[in-house]
Amino acid sequence: MVRHMRIAVAGKGGAGKSVIAGVLARLLARRGERVLAIDSDPIPGLALSLGLGPVDTPLLAAAAEQDEDGRWQLKKGIGAARAVQRFALTAPDGVRFLQFGKATAEGLAGAMGSLTALYRVVHRIARDRVLDGWSIVADLPAGPRHAAFDWAPYASTYLVVTEPTLKSILSARRIARIATSRPGVAALVVANKVRSPRDVSLIASRLQRDVVAAIPADDDVRAADRAGLSVLDAAPTCAAVQAIAELLEELDERVDRRSRAS
Amino acid sequence: MKIAVAGKGGSGKTTVAGTVARALAQAGHEVIALDCDTNPMLGMSLGVGAEETDRLVAARQALEAGELDHQPNAAGIVATFGTEAPDGVRLVVVTRIDAADPG
Repeated sequence: MVRHMRIAVAGKGGAGKSVIAGVLARLLARRGERVLAIDSDPIPGLALSLGLGPVDTPLLAAAAEQDEDGRWQLKKGIGAARAVQRFALTAPDGVRFLQFGKATAEGLAGAMGSLTALYRVVHRIARDRVLDGWSIVADLPAGPRHAAFDWAPYASTYLVVTEPTLKSILSARRIARIATSRPGVAALVVANKVRSPRDVSLIASRLQRDVVAAIPADDDVRAADRAGLSVLDAAPTCAAVQAIAELLEELDERVDRRSRAS
Repeated sequence: MKIAVAGKGGSGKTTVAGTVARALAQAGHEVIALDCDTNPMLGMSLGVGAEETDRLVAARQALEAGELDHQPNAAGIVATFGTEAPDGVRLVVVTRIDAADPG
């Protein structure tokens, strides 16, 4: 049975969004799915977690043009499918990767074009039902605002990542509230950097939500982050990777349940 | 002194800002701590607690909802959207978190 996931990974800064998004995207690709990974953070980090190395480029800069009033638009003839085909990089395991990217030495124009193009692309994915056979994993920038900005309109599942700290948990609460204001969106809490069962119960009780996965604090993740590598390449059998694989199994079950129900 | 604290998410901006603000206040300075983060958490690091931190965010949101009036000057903003934090630091939240248009 083929399951298509439409996942946005959100959470406070440093909670571990990129690592989880990067590993999930590659695990999905390894079992044969077509996967698009999207980084809409102006401080790009998903490329590293996917194992692409540092990529700062505003990948969609060439997909955008300014109209007579100076507003950025997608170039004619470039829809979501073509944007992926022409501009997405190919990461390990065949994951296709799009990002907003950083401003260059030549100025802000490229980044603004890329930002607008990416925003239009994600909305066309949601509206036009293109890339229907694809799974999508998006890494949202830190904090609740990106959910409010509607950067992941295609997402049926928000993974709200939180550390067992009060600041991180309160951020998660704000994000879950905003994400679920869209009908049909499920916000699932992922506890990250967990050191004891008490950490998980703190998160569950503060958020009044079930925790779908508990990912342990893992020195292998820190080491991979320090080196700028995907933990899937640096330490493929470590405890955190295993927990993310279990998270994927849990998501599978939920997709199956949903399709049985519908 | 007018200090802005910046950095990547999770790098410790809020903890540094909160601690510097209280250290300055303890040294006798009058201090205003401005939370300009779209995920306002400076209250947590200053030690005003989760409830009061969320109350300030709610006040800022109420402005958007038209339930609170805009303030004509800085003093009004500090009074309406601020609270007293430990060591006499005045905390003011100036961002809202659920703006719906990008940019």
